[in-house]
Amino acid sequence: MRKLIWKEWNEQSWKLAFGSVVLAALAFIGLRSRILADETMVMWVCFLGFSLLPILASTGLVPAERSDGTLEALLSLPVTPRRILAVKTAIGLLLVAGPMIAAAIVSVALAGNREMDLAAMVILYARSMLTALSLFIWMMALTIRLPSEARAAMLALGVLILLAFIASARLVNPQVPMIVAELSPLSFIHDVVADQKIPAPPLLAIVGVQLGIAAVLWTWASRSLANGAN
Amino acid sequence: MSQTTANQASSPVIELRGVRKSFRRKEVLRGVDLSVPPGQTFAFLGRNGAGKTTTIRMLLGLLRPDAGQVRVLGLDPQRDALEIRRRVGYLAEDPVLFGWMRVGQLLSFTRPFYPTWDQTWAGELADRFELPMETRIKYLSKGQSVRVALLLALAHRPELVILDDPTLGLDPIMRKEFLRDLVTYLQGERVSVFFSSHLLYEIEPVADSVVILDRGRVVIQAPTEQLRADVKRLIAPLDAEAALRDLPGLLDVSVRGRQVAAVVSDIAAARTALVACPLPVQEMDLNLDEIFEAYVIGQTKESPHAEAHLERVE
Repeated sequence: MRKLIWKEWNEQSWKLAFGSVVLAALAFIGLRSRILADETMVMWVCFLGFSLLPILASTGLVPAERSDGTLEALLSLPVTPRRILAVKTAIGLLLVAGPMIAAAIVSVALAGNREMDLAAMVILYARSMLTALSLFIWMMALTIRLPSEARAAMLALGVLILLAFIASARLVNPQVPMIVAELSPLSFIHDVVADQKIPAPPLLAIVGVQLGIAAVLWTWASRSLANGAN
Repeated sequence: MSQTTANQASSPVIELRGVRKSFRRKEVLRGVDLSVPPGQTFAFLGRNGAGKTTTIRMLLGLLRPDAGQVRVLGLDPQRDALEIRRRVGYLAEDPVLFGWMRVGQLLSFTRPFYPTWDQTWAGELADRFELPMETRIKYLSKGQSVRVALLLALAHRPELVILDDPTLGLDPIMRKEFLRDLVTYLQGERVSVFFSSHLLYEIEPVADSVVILDRGRVVIQAPTEQLRADVKRLIAPLDAEAALRDLPGLLDVSVRGRQVAAVVSDIAAARTALVACPLPVQEMDLNLDEIFEAYVIGQTKESPHAEAHLERVE
């Protein structure tokens, strides 16, 4: 297990550094120059974080190894695909969460309680991070059998757009059942982007539904990886 | 030695019974039966696309058969894949290793997965293969990469080594060196080797037994010496064409000028059948390459095993 973590860390750590530097720099430059209102700037940083980081992380784990041809070397070791996927998932979650935390620290340090309430800023980052983490699981599972990063990125983008439609269904038609919105990780940020007249799904309900979906998707993904040489 | 231990020692290291596998509508394996005795170097031959790699992936539990039974070292690859991979050395076709790792790092990465890893032996192999331990894998030549992969397949002292066309992409000198390294290893250990290849002249000197796979079916499995003794080419005047075409175990017939040549799978039966033939019939030995061609071309021409196609050459 330690060697698997060592391998994934060596392969992926540059993405963590790159993502953290870019997102933190964006927050720093935006909030320092004050070209936009603090709340708008933080929303932009969060939007970029939860839309780009899951794509970057998910496509670089399994599809990249498939296109490089190294997946077979990994799968033919005496280790279960479930364990391989567990390590990849943990590293992927770190790749997504790390840059969001870096951007949050910079934002709080520079503009906490300046125009935007500190607690509101932290909540926005926290909800965006939950969105990003859930999106990562969705994207990682659904792109696990694709043979290249490019094709995986295209599908991940499609998944993002589809989930955005699902999350916004109630904004278009408030009669749509709440459970539909809860199916999308983007519902975590409903409060931030939606009209307050349309009630957001309860946070705990979204967390519960997304955890359930993540468990199902992850199990399916580990089975797909077991038959990955097909 | 107890009865159980004796049975284990003599039971096949690989056994396939009626194995079938399809990818979507394409049936790749169509009822494969084969049995590999322990301690042998077993050549698994077939043209590209015959189903060799699919079979090997099933042996390691990387693919699930649609039907049939697979046993490796007496274990089921679907249930005991990890145990099999611990006890088997596997060298994939055109192996791709982690390019960013140095050779030494790759060995350190792989070692903990194998309880039987022999570090001294790994060091000896690295010296023998002249591997640069500080060089990144991506900067190695093709020949060096294949040797690294061979080292990884052998360093845990496996009971069975599965090699999937390991010399693919190597130049002739590198192929010779690779086989020399392999033979050196085999001479030192009584390990079973399952060697898939389509370069028959190279595998011929090392193979104890041969199985030929064609379009998803085993067309022949036999010890190499027996195959060489049984499969012969017969050359006779053109007037004997009808007699040759009626021979039992006929694999191929071709007419060349005023002569007819036939390849038979059972020379003893053919001799008996030709006792009454008044024309002179000359017997010729075949190498593995020619034997393979006779079996596979007969299959490709859609002729049943005992029927040959007639090729007329001006």
